Amino acid sequence: MTKLNCLAAFVLFSAGISIARADQTAASAPNPLTDQPMFKLGGFGTLGLSHSSESLGDYIVDSTSPKGAGISSDWSATNASRFAAHVNANFTPKVTALLQVDSEYHADGTYRPEVEWLSVKYAFTPNFYMRAGRIALPTFMDSESWDVGYSYTWITPPVDLYHQLSIPSSDGIDAMYRAEIGDAVNTVKAIYGKNTLDRPSSVTTSREMWGIFDTLEYGETTYHAGYQQRMSSTEYLLTGVTGAWIQNSDITVGANYDPGNWFVMSEWIQRRSNYVSSAMYVSAGYRINKFTPYLTHSQNSSGSFLQSSPPPTATDLQLANRAQSTDSLGVRWDFMRNFDFKMQYDRVTLSDNSNGYLINVPANVTLYGTTFHVISAVVDFVF
Amino acid sequence: MIINLKFTLLFALLSLAVSAQAEVVVVVSSKSSVTSLTTEQTAKIFLGKVVTFPNEHAAFPIDQPEGSAIRDEFYSKVAHKNSSQLTAYWAKIIFTGEGRPPQLIAGDVAVRKAIASNPSAIGYIDKSAVNRSVRVVLKP
Repeated sequence: MTKLNCLAAFVLFSAGISIARADQTAASAPNPLTDQPMFKLGGFGTLGLSHSSESLGDYIVDSTSPKGAGISSDWSATNASRFAAHVNANFTPKVTALLQVDSEYHADGTYRPEVEWLSVKYAFTPNFYMRAGRIALPTFMDSESWDVGYSYTWITPPVDLYHQLSIPSSDGIDAMYRAEIGDAVNTVKAIYGKNTLDRPSSVTTSREMWGIFDTLEYGETTYHAGYQQRMSSTEYLLTGVTGAWIQNSDITVGANYDPGNWFVMSEWIQRRSNYVSSAMYVSAGYRINKFTPYLTHSQNSSGSFLQSSPPPTATDLQLANRAQSTDSLGVRWDFMRNFDFKMQYDRVTLSDNSNGYLINVPANVTLYGTTFHVISAVVDFVF
Repeated sequence: MIINLKFTLLFALLSLAVSAQAEVVVVVSSKSSVTSLTTEQTAKIFLGKVVTFPNEHAAFPIDQPEGSAIRDEFYSKVAHKNSSQLTAYWAKIIFTGEGRPPQLIAGDVAVRKAIASNPSAIGYIDKSAVNRSVRVVLKP
């Protein structure tokens, strides 16, 4: 797959260069005001460490991580650390492309670089485009830039909600239409595609995946809402069992108010497969010069099985029963241009009948109802 | 002695007043049909949320370089964002392929010259650099 992606990128960029060359010969005298460089290189990264007081399970922030802080190691760098390089190519004003290669901790326990995004965009007008390729799903307000720590205040977006981001990207097409409505700007995105997601002990295949997402920006407030659905099947690598194809659908709603010196935001999701569950967070922060202290509360519910579904298997029950809640206190410090330093304390409480999102908990151990503490520090940068 | 001190104070106050006179203004070409803009309209153009002026004509924003005092003043007054908030804002847009920040031109005079010759362009310069080739559309 990676080889295929690299090949695709090469073909794409060579094609782009020849289109652009043809364009240049046709173009008139250069205009210093409108001629932007064709390729724009950039990147971002995060270096982080975290420690958990719970030594019988691993605390992870991303469901694809095989290990974290806890039972595997006292201190772990895997939860946040990553590096990504990004190329944005403007072949013509209407034809642009995006390639992002990301090295982060994968399900297989390596930092092997992977094509995160690769897409070609055709802009019919500046407010209407279509793209084809590997495209981020705008499930939550920060899910497209989840990897870019510098772009948000927290160390990671609230875990209990963002852990629900079961499918980060789609291989397929999308379209965006933006319109001004009075003083507001409204952006609608529609997406169609498929996805294969590797987790440490399972592989989930999704097809017939589609979604529609709306973002309304009015003054200092941003609203976001979305609906998506897909047919998914999971293969469990330990047992070799492949689950049935199940229709999944997610409804998401969020709002953010940011007048400059402070912010408050909240998001909510309801997931429906053979069970229904929900998750939410509320977060607020206050900016004092280069420091932004913030507080967050997040929680998820255990799933309730639908009567119409077949009787749940043991794995289904385990997946549906992972309720936990988190209270976080942190600070972001913009200590120099293009760099930030963040520290965060999380108090995590597991539900009375589950180990929450802890992984690698030994089979004979139950941590039901436990409260534990996590401290983390990261440096984020962009270039 | 006391009189001397008073003069020193007065002088200090005057110099403060002079330095405080540095004031950012938003300008378009004098050939542009745009006569005035609100803070919100200007913010939307510079943050890439709209690509036209309220009269539907194409808008082409010009930024001054990162770290320049005029840029920081402009964004804190118009978009209520400091330089880190602005970098974070654009990081999200650039790395999702949704857009690019405005083109950079350094210096009030260079910005004014670029704007004067392009009826679509819009930029911000110090009030003292304004001449008849450009029109002030907002004093934030």
